Amino acid sequence: MCRSLNLLGRWLLSLTGVLILSACAQNELTQPSLSAGDRIIGYSGQRVGLYGYGHPISATEIAGWDIDIRPDGVGLPPGNGSVEQGEWLYEEQCAECHGSFGEGVGRYPVLAGGEGSLQDARPSKTVGSYWPYTTTLFDYIRRTMPFTQPQSLSDDETYALTAYVLYLNDLVDDDLVLNQHNLATITLPNQANFIPDPRPDVANIRCMSNCRDPAAIRIHSEVAPPPDPVVLTAQVQDQSSTPVHPGREHYELFCSVCHKQGVGGAPIPGNAAHWQARMQRGLPDLVSNAINGIVGDTGVMPPKGGFMQLTDAEVAAAVEYMLGERRD
Amino acid sequence: MSQRELDNLVHSIAKSGDQLGTLERRRFLKSGLILAGAAASSAAAQSPDHLPPSTPPWSRSLGRGVVSHPYGSPSQHEHHVQRRTVDWLTADHISSISFTPLADLSGIVTPSGVVFERYHAGVPEISPDQHRLMIHGLVERPIILSMDDLVRFPCESMIRFLECPANGGMEWRGAQMDKLQFSHGMLACCEWTGVRLSTLLEEVGLKKDAAWILAEGADGSSMSRSIPMDKALDDALIVYAQNGEMLRPEQGYPLRLINPGWEGNTCVKWLRRLEVGDQPWYQREETSKYTDLMPDGRAREFTYVQECNSVVTSPCPEKPLSEPGKYQIQGLAWSGRGRIKAVDVSVDGGVSWRQARFTSEVLPKALTRFALEWSWDGSPALIQSRAIDETGYVQPTYGQLRQVRGSNSIYHKNAIHTWRLSPNGAVSNVQIS
Repeated sequence: MCRSLNLLGRWLLSLTGVLILSACAQNELTQPSLSAGDRIIGYSGQRVGLYGYGHPISATEIAGWDIDIRPDGVGLPPGNGSVEQGEWLYEEQCAECHGSFGEGVGRYPVLAGGEGSLQDARPSKTVGSYWPYTTTLFDYIRRTMPFTQPQSLSDDETYALTAYVLYLNDLVDDDLVLNQHNLATITLPNQANFIPDPRPDVANIRCMSNCRDPAAIRIHSEVAPPPDPVVLTAQVQDQSSTPVHPGREHYELFCSVCHKQGVGGAPIPGNAAHWQARMQRGLPDLVSNAINGIVGDTGVMPPKGGFMQLTDAEVAAAVEYMLGERRD
Repeated sequence: MSQRELDNLVHSIAKSGDQLGTLERRRFLKSGLILAGAAASSAAAQSPDHLPPSTPPWSRSLGRGVVSHPYGSPSQHEHHVQRRTVDWLTADHISSISFTPLADLSGIVTPSGVVFERYHAGVPEISPDQHRLMIHGLVERPIILSMDDLVRFPCESMIRFLECPANGGMEWRGAQMDKLQFSHGMLACCEWTGVRLSTLLEEVGLKKDAAWILAEGADGSSMSRSIPMDKALDDALIVYAQNGEMLRPEQGYPLRLINPGWEGNTCVKWLRRLEVGDQPWYQREETSKYTDLMPDGRAREFTYVQECNSVVTSPCPEKPLSEPGKYQIQGLAWSGRGRIKAVDVSVDGGVSWRQARFTSEVLPKALTRFALEWSWDGSPALIQSRAIDETGYVQPTYGQLRQVRGSNSIYHKNAIHTWRLSPNGAVSNVQIS
C-alpha cells in the first residue's frame, strides 16, 4: 500500500506540481495536512498552519513519546511499585554503578546520603540532600535508566525503583507502595532552597592603571606547564603508528563502560583471576555470550552490553582484544 | 647520518623484519620507519634541501590529483590538533566531555571536527529519513515534521558561540588544568543554519497559557530541558546545518536546538520533541545538574546565560614563547548578552591594562578575536585579559566571583584568567590574589 501511495505521490507531483509527502514512514492512520481553509488563528493573531508542512498528530502518537513528568504529577502513568519490589530490581539493575546503598561506584552518581552537607567544603548532592522533586526521579529513571538499556523498564518497575531510592534516602517507610496518586505528594527536604538566577551578581570596574599594589600579588595556585609541544606531537604520531588491535576502538568506546572497572561483575582486561574460568569455556562461547547476553554467577551482561548498533563481528573483535590484554 | 647510512639502516630494518610474524613484522616495520624518519629529519637539518638555494622535492614532483580525498581532511602535519578528554572527570566515555583545541585555532569559527563533545548516552546514529520532530502541548495544531518538512521553512544562518556552563568549572578551588584546551575548551563558535523556533511556534499556534517549552533529544538519555517562551520567541534556532554542511553526528545530526548565548546544555541535540506548557518541568538536567550551589546551601536554578568571558590563547601553555622580542598577545572574548565592546590585556597581573584591538568581526553572542602587540624582554610576566560587553558588564576577578558564589557552584565560572610566563618562555596556569 505504501509503495502505491509513493507512486501516486510521484505521479501527482510530476503532473500538477502539488507536493504529496510520502506516508510510508508515518503511521498510516495519520491524515493529510490541513488545507488553507482550515487554518486556525492562535491567541496572538498568528497565522497558524501558514505553511502546512508535516502532519497533524494524534493523541495516541503523542502519548508514545510524551514521557515527561512535572512536579505537580502531570504526566505520571498509571501503575504502582513497592519499596520491596524496588530493592530486588535495584540490586539487579542499578547497584553495579550506584552501589548497594546508593553510595556510587567509582565516578558513577551517588544517590543517597549527604544530608546537611550542602554548605560543606565537599557537598554531596544526592536525591535526598539536593533534588527538589520526586517526579524528577521517576522521570529520569524512566527516560534514561539503566544506563546501557534506557527506556527498558516498565512503569511499575519505575515506580518500584523510585520508591526504593527514596527509601535509601530515609525519606519513606519500607512498606510504601508508590503510584500515580501519591508520588507527587511526597516532598523532598531541599525543595525550598532553589532560587531564581540573580546575575549579574558581581560588578568589576574597568581600571586601566595603578589598579593594584604589585607587591601584594601572590600566586596561590599553579599547574606545571605541559611537556614541550614538539614532544607532544611526536607522542601523538607515535600512538598512531603502533599497530592497534581491530577490537580496541570498540572496547574503548563501549565495553570499557563496565569492563574497565568491573562494573556489575564484568571481567576486567588484564585481571587473570577474572578470566581464568571464562577462558576454559573457549573464545566462541565468550563471543556468543557477549552478543546474546548472559546472566552469570558473578554478574549480568545485556546483549552486546546494550549497544545494539554494534555488529556481531565488532563484538567478537572487542572480546578478542580484551583477551589479548589479559595475556599482556 | 649520510644518505648511504640511512639507506643501509632502512634496508637492514626491512630485512630483519622478514623473520618476524605478521603482526610483529608490522610493529617492527613501523618502529623502523619512525627511526628512519628521525634519521631523515636529522639529515635534512644538516643539508636542508627544502631551503634556498636548493629546490625542495615537492617543487620537483607531482602531488595527488582531484578527488583522491573526496571529503578533505586537515594536513597530516596538523594531526596534533585534536579534541582531547580528561579521564578522571567522568566515569566512562559514553557520558562524558571532550575539549576543543583552542590554542591551535584561528578566527572565530571552530572547525566542525574539533568542536567539543558532550554526551549523556553517546552519539546516536540517526538516519534523517527516519528522524521526526514532534511539536505538541499547549498548541492549536500539534504536528510531526520530517527533515524534508523542516528544510522547507524559511531558514536563517547565524554565527554564535556554544559553551558548556561547566567550562573552567574545575578551577573554582584553584588552578588545576595544565593546558588552555582543558581550562577553557568546552567552547566553540559555528555558523548555524536552521529555522527560527518562533516560526515553528507560529505554525502550530500557541495557546493562551503557553509559557515554557520542553526540548527533548532522541538519544539514549532523551536529554531534556525547560526553555522559557521569551527565549523561544527571541532568537532560538532549530538547526540542521553547521559551518556550511549538515550537522556533525557529535553535534546532534540531523537536528538540534541552539539557544544563542545560553548554556550549551539547553541546546538539545538530536532534537525529537518540543512540548509547550505553562510551567517548567524540573528535569534532572535542571535540578540535580546545571543548578549553581551557593555558600549558604541554596542553589540558583535556570541559570541560562553564559556571561562575558575571555582568555589569552597565545601565549598559553601549548604556545610558549621561543625568545624575547615582539609578540602579538592574542585571545578570544565572548558574551551571552550580546557583542563584546572592548578587551583589555595586562602583563603585570592586573596592575595596568592596555586595550587590545579586534582582529575579527564583532558579532553578537559570538567568539571575538583580539590582539595586542607586546615586546617581551624575557622577564617573568602574569598575562591576563578582561572583556567588557555591550551591556557594560566587566569580566570579574576570581575574588569577586568567590565572594558571592563561594567555590562549589561548578557552573558559569567566567573569571579573569592568568597565565604565568617564565623567563624560559614556558607558560603555566596560575591563580593570583
